[in-house]
Amino acid sequence: MNPTLNVTITEDQRDCYQEISNVAMGQAADLLARLLDVHVILPIPVVNLLEVNELRMALSGIESTDSVSGVCQGFIGNGISGEALLIFNDASFGDISKLLKYGGELDNSLELELLMDVANILIGACLRGIAEQLDVVFSQGHPIVLGQHVNLAELINANNYRWTKTLAVEINYKIEGFDINCDLLLLFTEEAIEALNTKINFLLDD
Amino acid sequence: MTTPVLICDDSNFARKQMARSLPDGWDVDITFACNGEEALQAIKEGKGEVVFLDLTMPVMDGFETLANIKSQDLNAMVIVVSGDIQPEARQRVKSLGAIDFIKKPINKNKAELILKEFGIL
Repeated sequence: MNPTLNVTITEDQRDCYQEISNVAMGQAADLLARLLDVHVILPIPVVNLLEVNELRMALSGIESTDSVSGVCQGFIGNGISGEALLIFNDASFGDISKLLKYGGELDNSLELELLMDVANILIGACLRGIAEQLDVVFSQGHPIVLGQHVNLAELINANNYRWTKTLAVEINYKIEGFDINCDLLLLFTEEAIEALNTKINFLLDD
Repeated sequence: MTTPVLICDDSNFARKQMARSLPDGWDVDITFACNGEEALQAIKEGKGEVVFLDLTMPVMDGFETLANIKSQDLNAMVIVVSGDIQPEARQRVKSLGAIDFIKKPINKNKAELILKEFGIL
């Protein structure tokens, strides 16, 4: 890695990332809404260029004192790589379990199943939505459990990031009428930002 | 006759994308708004005979904007252009008086089809 790599994004580029994320998160939310037969409340995606160690502080959708569980999944394609994280507030699992009608006692293994199933849908759809708009194709790695019933710091520290700066997109999903709150995070690597900016500039100049 | 068209979206990129997607040769006077409040003001000033309205916006979102257009009986044909493609969002905007719904990302064909369908073009 080049330590002198100095990446920046302009306000126009940030706006464009936000809009692309907005479209992608809508596609993902639509799938979740149909699966659970609910209405997903869509936020305005938050796009930030930050140091990985600032990430926990930058998250607005989840309180640092909340008990959370999360998974991450790497992706790569066309010189763009990163990781997608799905973080659930643990209080959400009761309602998700009811909505998915999985039945059985809500223990750690059932929670993990719910987490993996929702992550699969949201991460897959969101990455697909972004890839389509940027005209790239992402391959996804296997999902990895970052932790269950931990706090946000423990969860984020569980992932040993090899890069320092990241373009972070935070999408906080809530479900109308239910106690369900989750954060979908897309973290693009430092090296990816340059490739992304090139793609974005095509769209901006179009 | 020049049609006053209002494009309301919090994203500058989305506003430009929408403006570029308007049919070629359509005689329009385009006004831009960044949120619902600005949109209502522009409609009251006669700048929004046809309105392309986003849903997810700060200050005043698209749902609230539609409710205001309805309750204040403002003269505007509103086409919602949104990334929120949930069936319920679509139903809600229709019940709030939007004439149609276009999924983002927008393209020229979709805009032209809808404008023709409603006899605007």
